[in-house]
Amino acid sequence: MSADAVRARVHPALACRLAIAARVLLAILGGYMIAALASGWLALVLPGPRAEAVSTATLASFAIMAAAVIWVFAARSLGRAALVMGVVAALLSTGLWLAGAFQGGSAA
Amino acid sequence: MTIPALVLSLLLGFSGFAALALSLDRHHRAVFRTPMRGKRVGGLRAVGWAGLALSFAAAVASAGWSFGPVQWIGSLTGSALAVVALIAYRPTWLRAAALAALPLAALDLPLALLR
Amino acid sequence: MSRSKSVRQSMAWLHTWSGLVVGWVLFAIFVTGTASYYRPEISSWMRPELSEAVSDPVAAATSAGAFLRKTMPDAMGWSVRPPNAENPAVEVYWWQSPGGPFHHALLDPSTGERSKVRDSRGGDFLYRFHFELNLPPIWGRWIVSACAMVLLIALVTGIVTHRRIFADFFTFRRDRSAQRGWLDAHNVVGVLALPFHLMIVYTGLVTLSSMLMPWPVLTAYQGNGLRYYAEAGLMIAGRPPAGRPGTALPLGEIVARAIAATGQTPEVVMVSGPGDAAATVTAYFEEPPGLAHLHPQIAYDAATGAEIGRIGEAGAATRTGAVMVGLHEAHFAAAPLRLLFFLCGLMGAATVATGLVLWTVARAPKGADPDGFGLRLVRVLNLGTIAGLPAGLGAYLLANRLLPVDLDGRAEWEVRGFFAAWILAAIASALYPRARAWPLALIVPAFAFLAIPGVDALTVGEVRFLGFDAAMAGLGLLLAVGARLTARPRQNRTRAILHRAAEA
Repeated sequence: MSADAVRARVHPALACRLAIAARVLLAILGGYMIAALASGWLALVLPGPRAEAVSTATLASFAIMAAAVIWVFAARSLGRAALVMGVVAALLSTGLWLAGAFQGGSAA
Repeated sequence: MTIPALVLSLLLGFSGFAALALSLDRHHRAVFRTPMRGKRVGGLRAVGWAGLALSFAAAVASAGWSFGPVQWIGSLTGSALAVVALIAYRPTWLRAAALAALPLAALDLPLALLR
Repeated sequence: MSRSKSVRQSMAWLHTWSGLVVGWVLFAIFVTGTASYYRPEISSWMRPELSEAVSDPVAAATSAGAFLRKTMPDAMGWSVRPPNAENPAVEVYWWQSPGGPFHHALLDPSTGERSKVRDSRGGDFLYRFHFELNLPPIWGRWIVSACAMVLLIALVTGIVTHRRIFADFFTFRRDRSAQRGWLDAHNVVGVLALPFHLMIVYTGLVTLSSMLMPWPVLTAYQGNGLRYYAEAGLMIAGRPPAGRPGTALPLGEIVARAIAATGQTPEVVMVSGPGDAAATVTAYFEEPPGLAHLHPQIAYDAATGAEIGRIGEAGAATRTGAVMVGLHEAHFAAAPLRLLFFLCGLMGAATVATGLVLWTVARAPKGADPDGFGLRLVRVLNLGTIAGLPAGLGAYLLANRLLPVDLDGRAEWEVRGFFAAWILAAIASALYPRARAWPLALIVPAFAFLAIPGVDALTVGEVRFLGFDAAMAGLGLLLAVGARLTARPRQNRTRAILHRAAEA
């Protein structure tokens, strides 16, 4: 499926259209989720004053999302894209948990 | 950030970009109607980059280190657009315009540095 | 090698389709945003009754405070903008809850009552349309932000797709095929203003970041945004309401203290909990010279006039964010630089427009094949947006001069004029014969803009608007040049054939 996008234009078969729709969804939802998790995690772990970490994380979040979206479309296959996004999201969630984000109220 | 300062950046950027455009074979042919000779490329490129560097220096000298770069980047867009328009519509004017911009810039220099 | 080629192909695909789906909205965002660089000028042109004389800010603040106390004494907040050179009227807002609605009025500084100036939203309409699209704010902002994110992706994928950025930097082959010409035009306006495009889209997202990315504040501050703002040096920490009524000093008294403390008239004063004993007045001053959008602030106790606090020093990252917001709004830019920002904004709109047209030109069937439905739809939407929106803008300004001055709900009628003209122009352009659709569609807004100086001279006729009228005539001429350029594709094509024949 290296060039499913291009193939879809040549043979507009249903499978190809579904593959494109899946990538679009993965890019939008997955991209935003990665950006949200990453910025939330960065705000907790970046050194320096807390407000500065929050500012840095917020500013970086849009670049993170753009990179994630572009990666989803550049990936060799949909499965690979989904797998890597899932692994990154899991790692970031673990990082958030280790940084104490889920311990209700006592964070930071 | 006075008008003469911006005009100075624009003029220097214009001459610089014109030289860089002429260092590309396609535009060199369109302007001079002759193919490029090997040695000229290096000279034109050096003049071109020098023009852009001088434009930067002019912007920073007149507007300071925070506004200067912003003004420089904006003026590069304007001067490059002028070069593209000349090449597309009046290619034969490009050389004269780029050369005329330099004395104008020299005339403008004292006005630009008077803050 | 084939791997990198296929990546480039998927990037080209992503660039094409992401640009297409949001292109029409992006065009409107670019055009109204570019116009917003001149928001004060548009507003003062649309309110010609306002004199340019600057009145005493202290007296004006006191009478505005009295007006607000009469209008909504139990408000959650008031905002008063004392008169200054750019805005000679006093602008007040008042609201009962943080989510609005935000009531708005312009006050006459000499009487403290609603100004008799003609009812108009002025440049504020275009400014708010730029990021809210005239929809409910939350919806509009999310849609605009989504389009901005898509634009960011389209820019990055466009750079990846465009292999010969430097070799083609100056290339605009208008005398070859139509597709080549549009592609070159798209590349030139896109590449030459690329620093601006990247800056404006990223900083645009940053201006709305507290809505788009609340997660850092959620994890590090448990969602307490006010505490983040206070610690970051963006706002002064507020104090809780006392829960009992209090008597405040006249608002002008606080403004006088703020002027005495800094030597500067505050740009805006905000009163939180105006009826409460713990009411606080915060004075916001103009940004000091520099790129950053960081307003100095001093908070006063509304009852005693004692200074409660000043804003903290912002750290490097917060300052970076403030510089981004500052760059986006370009308040720091004096007239010459603002003109360059305006030019870059037009080039942004032109990048979107040429991209949209290129999509249709590249897909035009060869020979006698019929046009598909998608192609015809995109063509109609292109005409309706690219030529329709300028028609709406022209109508918005003309309506300001031609509607009766004391018409009920006049400001809303101006906005209706904007949308009605846009929709009519779009429908008409869909009905024009295809070969002449672009010149016909563009000549309509060209005449609308060219008519503005004459209509202004006949209805208001003040010398101070000559510059604005000349600028409108210039925009009209620009649209007329566009109409002329699009009217000559046939000539171009013959020339292109000759050219190719000569090369062969």
